[in-house]
Amino acid sequence: MKKPFSLVAGLIVITFIIFGLPARAQAQKLSVVATFSIIGDFAAKVGGDRIELKTLVGPDSDAHVYEPRPADAIALARADVVLVNGLMFEGFLSRLIEASGTSAPVAELTEGAEILRDPEGGHYHYQGGRAVFHEAPYDAHAWQSVANAKVYVRNIARAFCAADAEGCAIYDANARTYLDELAALDEEIRQAVAAIPADRRVAVVAHNAFRYFEHEYGVTFLAPQGVSTESEASAADVASLIREIREKRAAAVFAENIADARLVEQIAREAALSLGGTLYSDALSQPDGPAATYAAMMRHNSSTIGAALAAD
Amino acid sequence: MNRPILGVSAVALAACLAGGAVLADEAENVTAWRLFVSDHAQPTVTVVDALDGDVLETLTIEGPATLHRSSSGKTVFAVQGAAGEVHAIKSGIAFHDHGDHADIDVDDPELLHVHIDGDKPAHFVERQGYVAQWFDGESKVRVFTEEAVLGEKLEIRTADIGAAHHGVAVPFQNHVVVSIPNPEDASKRPVGARVVDFEGNRIGEDVECPGLHGSAASGSLHALACDTGLLLIRQAGDAPAIEHLPYAASLPEGSASTLIGGTGLQYFVGNYGPDRILLVDPSEGENGFKLVQLPTRRVHFATDPIRPRFAYVFTEDGQLHQVDVLHGEIENSLRLTDPYSMDGHWSDPRPRVAVAGDAIVVTDPLDGKLHLVNAARFEKAGEIEIEGRPFNIVAVGGSGAAHGGEDGHDHDGHGHADDAHGHDHDHD
Repeated sequence: MKKPFSLVAGLIVITFIIFGLPARAQAQKLSVVATFSIIGDFAAKVGGDRIELKTLVGPDSDAHVYEPRPADAIALARADVVLVNGLMFEGFLSRLIEASGTSAPVAELTEGAEILRDPEGGHYHYQGGRAVFHEAPYDAHAWQSVANAKVYVRNIARAFCAADAEGCAIYDANARTYLDELAALDEEIRQAVAAIPADRRVAVVAHNAFRYFEHEYGVTFLAPQGVSTESEASAADVASLIREIREKRAAAVFAENIADARLVEQIAREAALSLGGTLYSDALSQPDGPAATYAAMMRHNSSTIGAALAAD
Repeated sequence: MNRPILGVSAVALAACLAGGAVLADEAENVTAWRLFVSDHAQPTVTVVDALDGDVLETLTIEGPATLHRSSSGKTVFAVQGAAGEVHAIKSGIAFHDHGDHADIDVDDPELLHVHIDGDKPAHFVERQGYVAQWFDGESKVRVFTEEAVLGEKLEIRTADIGAAHHGVAVPFQNHVVVSIPNPEDASKRPVGARVVDFEGNRIGEDVECPGLHGSAASGSLHALACDTGLLLIRQAGDAPAIEHLPYAASLPEGSASTLIGGTGLQYFVGNYGPDRILLVDPSEGENGFKLVQLPTRRVHFATDPIRPRFAYVFTEDGQLHQVDVLHGEIENSLRLTDPYSMDGHWSDPRPRVAVAGDAIVVTDPLDGKLHLVNAARFEKAGEIEIEGRPFNIVAVGGSGAAHGGEDGHDHDGHGHADDAHGHDHDHD
């Protein structure tokens, strides 16, 4: 389904009106705030040298639980454009926008993307051994499908053009180049998944951020619901997941860069599966890591999944 | 009692017109705020409905108390230094977080049948449901959970603090960060902090921080103040990690000894001399310090959990100041009381500040009232008369969806909405 409505209450979603836009002085860069590292990378690809970019939630950090700082509010107050995911992904956003008093347009990048309902009505994160439930009717992790990533990129180009008409041709050209790269990336991922035997395309993760990957590329992800490494009930809950793992013949368990690995280590032990590596779900890696850009992240994830699931 | 001007909030106005302390609109949204006010001289805690000013309950405890609310808001702890007791009060307001909304349960406030006895109860720190209660005369700190307190089945674990001293502890699931007593003289301020577990083991290296005093939480970050800067405490894997953040070289000579933490924005406010406050954004390192000059000496301060851009400082000239924490400036000032001199004993009755929804509430112990200030307009909004000398105050409440008559509503595994929490211990 297409995304039915804007889900970030109180935000000013930009309308892309090209006429009557303020011209920007050549020397003054467009001040852009991106809420987390993945859309920060998209913004850098589209904006190039014309933008001054601040990314609020950096590499290996979880935007669901981010605690904004006064410096973030000051950056928002000074911004020309604010780029957000929407779909209730950035729980901190409305309070931060209010605190900042910003008048910058806020571009919700999932607008127009193919959005999936969350069948569970939300999902769990694991922090410090605790399961924390994030209730949301729609799955926010839309970038895990490259087709949706292309929508993000087009929305960013429109947002930049709306704020900086003089630079529009540059933004459009950058976006076109990047969209070509994303098309090639999409094909690469499909080939990586095609190489996995069809009966082994089931994986286990701690936090179900891969529903869009599953929908687009055909790998099934199992994730525990409400299992906490510190709760008394966790043994029973893990046992239930282990049964599901065996029924669906999951082939590997994966850690995530933003999640506590203790839970998946426990699951892997009890299911007698190996840990297949670390996937990057909601954040890029550090610059010297294997997922420093969106394209690198998707390549790393698909090759890690492919290698672990295909192995006997 | 003078009923407050019904401009505390539009929601409060509707509540009062409806004659109800708790209100529900057609969408079953319920707002409830309660004030817990201790007396300076009497062993009482008065529970006031912040929306209509009615006194709901007067609870009798053992002695005059300093009040602390848990981050969940379910419990208010009354630390009674002179009486050697800590009592727990069930606030009667609880939230169950569902990500996009929170459910609210509103019940009667209740003095629970658990209390923690001991000479000289001092610093109280609650973090994510774990409580560390410090007793100045003991060589171990007592740690327990809010859940156990609410279940009235208190199970206390203890962690070694080296020697009895006036220090502080920050509780984690399996560890405690404790202050290190001064090796020359344990009666002097602590010299740093370390991580210990409940089996008597030290984890990692001690971190120096001489003159340590003052503690606050802001989100998941906890800070301790000392002569050389702040100690920042974070969960790092299985155990907490301590990092020293030195004061910026550009700051004048001084240090903080009382801290409060922001909600909604991660920052800290500390005293920095008697007539200045220090705003700290730890993420900015050396550049994260802003000093705010006050017109006169500080009496008390609080952060605003609803409007995170603002903190409030009450000064001895009887004024409440609205501080913009982004710019480090006093935005507005409002005279509320007669002057309260900071000369005299540190524990003399002086105003305290709390934020309850749309109202900033300031106790006026010598005039026997609470002053209400409309937080959005920063204007006087009314008064509530309280018998005796209303002194310490905490506010608990918020808005949520009510599920009236819904039996067995399941919140297993769901997180909990946090609200304001700051540790303040004034005797600088």
